Amino acid sequence: MSLVIETKGLSRIFKSYEKPEGLWQSIRGFWDRKYIEKIALAPTDLKIESGQIVGLVGANGAGKTTLLKMLSGLIHPTSGTASVLGYQPWERNPNFLRRMSILLGQKNQLWWDISPSDSFNLLAEIYDLDKKLALEKAMELAGILDCKHVLNTQLRRLSLGERMKMEIIGSLLHSPDVLFLDEPTIGLDIVAQTAIRKFMMEYVKNKGPTVILTSHYMDDIAKLADRLLLISKGAIVYDGTVQGFMNKTESTQKVSFSVSEALSQALELTSDLILQAGEQQFSFEIPSTRLAPILSKVTTLSGVLDLKIEEANFEDVIHRFLEKESRILSPSRPH
Amino acid sequence: MTDAVLQPVTTALIELTLWTAIFATAKTNMIGGFGKESYLAYVLWTAFVGRIAANWMYEFKMADEIESGSINSILVRPTSFYGSYLSQFLGYKFIVSGFSLVFPLLASYWFHLPLISLRILPALALIVYYLILMHTISFVIATLAFHLTRIHSITVAKNLALWLVTGELIPLDLFPEGIRQVVLWLPFSSGVYIPVAYLTGRISEDLLYRGFLSTTLGIIFFGAVGAMMWRWGLTKYTGTGA
Repeated sequence: MSLVIETKGLSRIFKSYEKPEGLWQSIRGFWDRKYIEKIALAPTDLKIESGQIVGLVGANGAGKTTLLKMLSGLIHPTSGTASVLGYQPWERNPNFLRRMSILLGQKNQLWWDISPSDSFNLLAEIYDLDKKLALEKAMELAGILDCKHVLNTQLRRLSLGERMKMEIIGSLLHSPDVLFLDEPTIGLDIVAQTAIRKFMMEYVKNKGPTVILTSHYMDDIAKLADRLLLISKGAIVYDGTVQGFMNKTESTQKVSFSVSEALSQALELTSDLILQAGEQQFSFEIPSTRLAPILSKVTTLSGVLDLKIEEANFEDVIHRFLEKESRILSPSRPH
Repeated sequence: MTDAVLQPVTTALIELTLWTAIFATAKTNMIGGFGKESYLAYVLWTAFVGRIAANWMYEFKMADEIESGSINSILVRPTSFYGSYLSQFLGYKFIVSGFSLVFPLLASYWFHLPLISLRILPALALIVYYLILMHTISFVIATLAFHLTRIHSITVAKNLALWLVTGELIPLDLFPEGIRQVVLWLPFSSGVYIPVAYLTGRISEDLLYRGFLSTTLGIIFFGAVGAMMWRWGLTKYTGTGA
């Protein structure tokens, strides 16, 4: 397999003006400004091979979108180099732009005042596509996504889910070799999320583009990605397979139960896990290895109801991992 | 309809009333070497050509796209921000002009105002050429949105300045000769004064050619500034708005 994306020391620092409170401080800001530098992405080395589907996961502000924006040529880096399909993205070479696509889930990229059909016609013109074939492809994709009926309705009049389906069709119309998907299912209901996820799985399986996908929904990542990149405070903290990540992290169990009457006194299950007096509902996560001794203490309580033990899922494990990482890494440096 | 008809018709009626009143009270048939009919023809055409030559709507749109980050949809596609807006701007002006210019044309024939029919096409060609310059200046102003927020006031200030130096407010013939010569060498007079004065018979071919030359130099100058500002702006762009 050939390398499609390669970065060396790629980083981006955002500089913003600190605006203190009050009128006088605002006026003072004209000649005495303080700037804050935020490391959106720390120097990053990355190699992605052709046909890989990479899930990029991190908390808000972790640097996921910044990385995608640099790789798609939307923004310039502060330092480092990147090569995507052999091009430096921010030079915005038309041959590069013809071979990639980026879908930003929180921004419209089709034209607001015209119908998706007209937008697809315009896109066919922009990408030098055969108009007839492009519209046939749009119809085919709309058929799979079950949204043919809205192709001739103004984009502004469509629901969020319908709009996102149209945006997906628009981003795939020119059959990109590299596809950047930034939160493609954000804000959608479960039905639309499932439809889009299923569609993307089929599309990727059939067409084989290289994909980098960011999503807050771990199901998107678990089902689509064959490689996982975890990013925290601008740094990549895990790079491997989803299964490898699950194996690497300690297996945990979620325990929840209630008691018929509030506890009269606190109960120490372990040195860092104490059930407080006066409470009736309890829920906590513990390592699987400590499950047996803790359960034996819980069952000594009188009137235990609805005791549930579940294995922590991928999303829980990721959240715990990122929480731990964000405590370790420092976010910004004053200037 | 507002831009094509209502606004220029209202402006033309006000200006025609004003210049009729000026000549009625001036106790002379000539002002600055030209007679009443010549001024009436000038202000009539200026009201319409001035609307066509102005650009604020697409300038606001370009600046808003940069400010809000919706320019992303252009940046990730093999298309040009300058080019896509130029085609929209010229397309819009083509439709507006088609409606709009019928009014001064009919009024000129109806009221027997000075108009040289053979000069209409060259004058229109200069206006279209000037629109490319206008768009290029708008592009330069819009690129400021990469660094500043709320730049609409710059557009308003620019349009006020152009109102004077294009000859839309008063004919350039009324400027002191030294200032008039300087303004005539600037490309802005190609927007209103030169085409209108040419088709109403106030000036000769020489000034029309000068208009094409100064507009060309203007496009090259502002084009170079725009390209530089664009490249600089993109290095600062964060993809989320300024």
